[in-house]
Amino acid sequence: MNEHPDQVSSHNGPDHSRFPVKFEEFFAAMAMALICLITFANVLVRYFTDESFAFTEEFSVFLMVVLTFFGASAAFAKNVHIRVSFFVDKLKPALAHKIEVVVMVVALALFAIIAWYGVKLLLDDWNYETTSPGIGIPQWIYTLWLPLLAALIDLRIAGRIVRLLRHKVN
Amino acid sequence: MLVGSLLLFVGFAVLLLLGAPLGVALGAAGTAVILTEGLGVMSVPTNVYAGLAKYPLLALPVFVLAGMIFERAGVALRIVNFTAAVVGNRRGAQGLVAVLVCMFLGGISGSGPADAAAVAMVMIPGMAKQGYPRAFSASLIAAAGSTAILIPPSIAFIVYSILVPTASVPALFAAGLIPGILAGLSLLIPVFYLSLREGWGTNHVEEKVPVWQSFKEASWGLLAPVIILGGLRSGMFTPTEAAVVAVFYGFFVGMFVYRSLTWRDVYQVLVVSAEISAVVMIIISLAGVFAHAGSTLGAFDAFANALIGITANETLMLAMIMIMLLIAGMLLDAVSIFLVFLPILLPIANAFHWDLVWFGVLMTMNMAIGQFTPPMAVNLMVTSRIAGISIESTVRWVMWFVVAMLLALILVAAMPQLALWLPQTLGY
Repeated sequence: MNEHPDQVSSHNGPDHSRFPVKFEEFFAAMAMALICLITFANVLVRYFTDESFAFTEEFSVFLMVVLTFFGASAAFAKNVHIRVSFFVDKLKPALAHKIEVVVMVVALALFAIIAWYGVKLLLDDWNYETTSPGIGIPQWIYTLWLPLLAALIDLRIAGRIVRLLRHKVN
Repeated sequence: MLVGSLLLFVGFAVLLLLGAPLGVALGAAGTAVILTEGLGVMSVPTNVYAGLAKYPLLALPVFVLAGMIFERAGVALRIVNFTAAVVGNRRGAQGLVAVLVCMFLGGISGSGPADAAAVAMVMIPGMAKQGYPRAFSASLIAAAGSTAILIPPSIAFIVYSILVPTASVPALFAAGLIPGILAGLSLLIPVFYLSLREGWGTNHVEEKVPVWQSFKEASWGLLAPVIILGGLRSGMFTPTEAAVVAVFYGFFVGMFVYRSLTWRDVYQVLVVSAEISAVVMIIISLAGVFAHAGSTLGAFDAFANALIGITANETLMLAMIMIMLLIAGMLLDAVSIFLVFLPILLPIANAFHWDLVWFGVLMTMNMAIGQFTPPMAVNLMVTSRIAGISIESTVRWVMWFVVAMLLALILVAAMPQLALWLPQTLGY
């Protein structure tokens, strides 16, 4: 699909972060590999035994959530998210730089809200002992990752804001 | 309520124009409305998770991975060689080969820029030797690569189906095939006209590859769409499973048949495809917040009714939507446009009783044209970079292809059966 041009150019984009983005890359890649292995195993098992283990669906979907958040975190570090830069590019660099800081602060606030209320969601699942619809394991095992990974993304955004503020544009 | 709706749309538009990541613009506007209108803040994390955790969406990352594995395995080059051997040496032949190969690879990959990049890298140098200007080749391959989101498998259709559950992925895949082929073939009109006018493609510089030998080398790649689409058609696999089988097939071919893949490549492909998918899926996730806020307020229906109020003429409304989508398609990618526009367009489509599968195909054709219409054209950016030319230099050629594919679009808009005949025949 139509990735943003920045993204196409920088599959391995500049990584200015102090904490290597290889961390998120590794977990996102492993989630992808696991999704494939589990789904393939499911196909083989169904083909040979006419049975399917339904729990693979629930677990694969969970892995996809993990993949998305690790990958999104890496994308914040490398600044390769899909955005419309057409109009901002036409502005004076100093103004564009200020706008970028504002935009990143909005992103920081958004993921802070997701992380904070994600913790509440986690506590609800813990207290009410919610079980997952597919295989009936405690739901908090899945919910746990939402605040955790949203916080990770927030660290990346904070890192980007710090770098933006250090490199003043005149 | 009106204030909330305004905050939702205006907040989103302002953030988007300021260059906020699209997901952030959607999520922040939705969250702001949920907070100010007191819709219950717990719906923010709930919808972030629920917007993402959907089984059909799993097909998206896996199809991205499948396309990349085949690209790295070197399938494109072998298919180009085979097609070139069949077509032979004549005027416009290389242009024809480029279109056919793009369409064929579109049957493995569901992403326009990926398809265009793979073909551009293999074909542009050879086309230059045959006298085709680099700007022309870059324009043509950018245009032909866009058919990847119409010819199944297509990532755009997977996302459309997530948002419009009544339009199933197999039905959309089947519906996209004929319009996709039409869109690709429409490009051949300018290819042949320009090649004859300018005398391209008559230099005998390339040594001839025997058809049979090139077929043997390409056969592994030629089988891939058969496995993907055949597996889907037979009902043996879900779309996700078909994609996973394609991944393992591509892995096998690249590792053991062509021996062009190393373990390091495989890891790199996993990283890159995970990241590309994540960038798209985080938008889908955060759009869940936007959609929840908008539908709870009734903002989308109100907006749609306002648009219907402008004109009750069906054709005029469709034309207005198409023009709006073409403009949006120059700025944004297909998935993003679905997420932003579908909540408003669906009530309109329902009001006019449009077939939602056909409507999805039409929308996607608009997105495809947007992928290579300057100034913001992802495919063109990719192919221009590979050709080593500026985007400006492509404008005189690429507009030919924009017009050609617009004709295909108008044809499908006027004759819905072009899209709907195949899925109806297959019984979806």
